[in-house]
Order: sequence, then structure tokens, then C-alpha cells
Amino acid sequence: MDKELPLQTQDTLTESIPAQFPDRRILFDEPRKFPLARRAAAVVAAWLVPGAGHLALGKYGRALLFFTTIGGAFVVGLSLGGHLYWPTVAEPPSRFHYDLITVLWFFAEIGSGLCYFVSYALGLGTVPIPQAAASPTFEYGNTFMFLAGLLNYLVIHDAFDIAAGRKR
Amino acid sequence: MHILMMSLYAAMAAVVLATVDPKSETNRERVLHGLKVFGSFLGIGLLLSWVLFPIPW
Repeated sequence: MDKELPLQTQDTLTESIPAQFPDRRILFDEPRKFPLARRAAAVVAAWLVPGAGHLALGKYGRALLFFTTIGGAFVVGLSLGGHLYWPTVAEPPSRFHYDLITVLWFFAEIGSGLCYFVSYALGLGTVPIPQAAASPTFEYGNTFMFLAGLLNYLVIHDAFDIAAGRKR
Repeated sequence: MHILMMSLYAAMAAVVLATVDPKSETNRERVLHGLKVFGSFLGIGLLLSWVLFPIPW
């Protein structure tokens, strides 16, 4: 007759699994790591359309949240009379050649990807600055558009972290 | 108008910052973090406006 094995608690069993299979990694508690091509695709998609990177990685809730929040910030900015900035040459000429503040504003706005290019193609936010600045909400609009782009840089970084398996 | 815009800005920033926060593991932690960020934006904004109000230029 077989010898009866003593009963083990759940904790003892869980701890004994890695000891029994030292050559195997237990993967069930680790975030998934995506292949390099999928990581790159997620980053590019996240830049082009806010939330699309998370959508590509199967994080549907976060994708919707980022799309509505960042897209919403950009639309609010445009509707308040914000301007789409492009680096302009400094006047009077400087060592940097470009007007540094317009370079920074451009960098902030370009973070929202297609929102910037589609708006530009549709002629939204392209009113010359002296004319646009006459609107009392001009600065509010710019601030919301900068917010949208800068937040999307964070979202791109988050999508990369998820794709690289550093985050759930 | 200014308070409304400031609140909208704070809410949008708080939602994204709370969602990408690497230290928050559960939804409850994310919501709490978001509320803290929202409150900080509004609180610091109001404090700065109060401090800067007497400056004439």
C-alpha cells in the first residue's frame, strides 16, 4: 500500500514549485514583453493618434481615456483660438538662427501627432499671430494645445514601457 | 472663466498623469493619485495667484 503523503498548505505548495523546476521561469506574474516590431509600431501609433499605441497593445480602456483627454485638450485649444506654431527665424538674427520660443512651442504641439497635421491641412489654427492674438482666449487656446502635445509624449513613453514588459 | 479653464486643464492633466503613474497598481490608487494631482494644480494655482496679486507689473 502506498504511503500517504502529508497534506500541504497552499503557501508551501506555491513556494515549492520554483524549487522543483529551477531551470524554468514562472511567467504568469510578469508583464508581457512584445516583439521589437510591435514596440516600434505602438510608439509610432501612439504619437500619430493619442491612445492608438495602447490600443495596439490591447489596453482598450486606457486607449479610450487618452484619446478623449488628449484629443479633447487639442480641440478645446483650437476652439479657444490657439495657434499652430512652426519654428520661425529669429529677428534680429541670433546665434541659434531660429526663434527659440517658437521651437519649444512647436515641439510641444507636434507631440499630438496627426491632430497637428490634420488641423494644419484644414487651415485651423493658422490665422496670423497678430490677428489671432486679438482674441481674449488666444493664450488659453495655446496652453491647451501645448498640454495635449506634452501629455502625449508621456503616453508614448507609457506605451513603450508596456510594450517592453516594464509595466502592466 | 479663468477658474473654469484652470479646472479643465487640471482635470485633463490629472487624468493622464494618474493613468501613466508607474507606482499606482490598482484603479483605486490611480483615482487617489489623480485627485491629489488635480488638487495640487488648483491649490498651487490659487496660491500663486494670491501671492502675485499685489505685484503691480
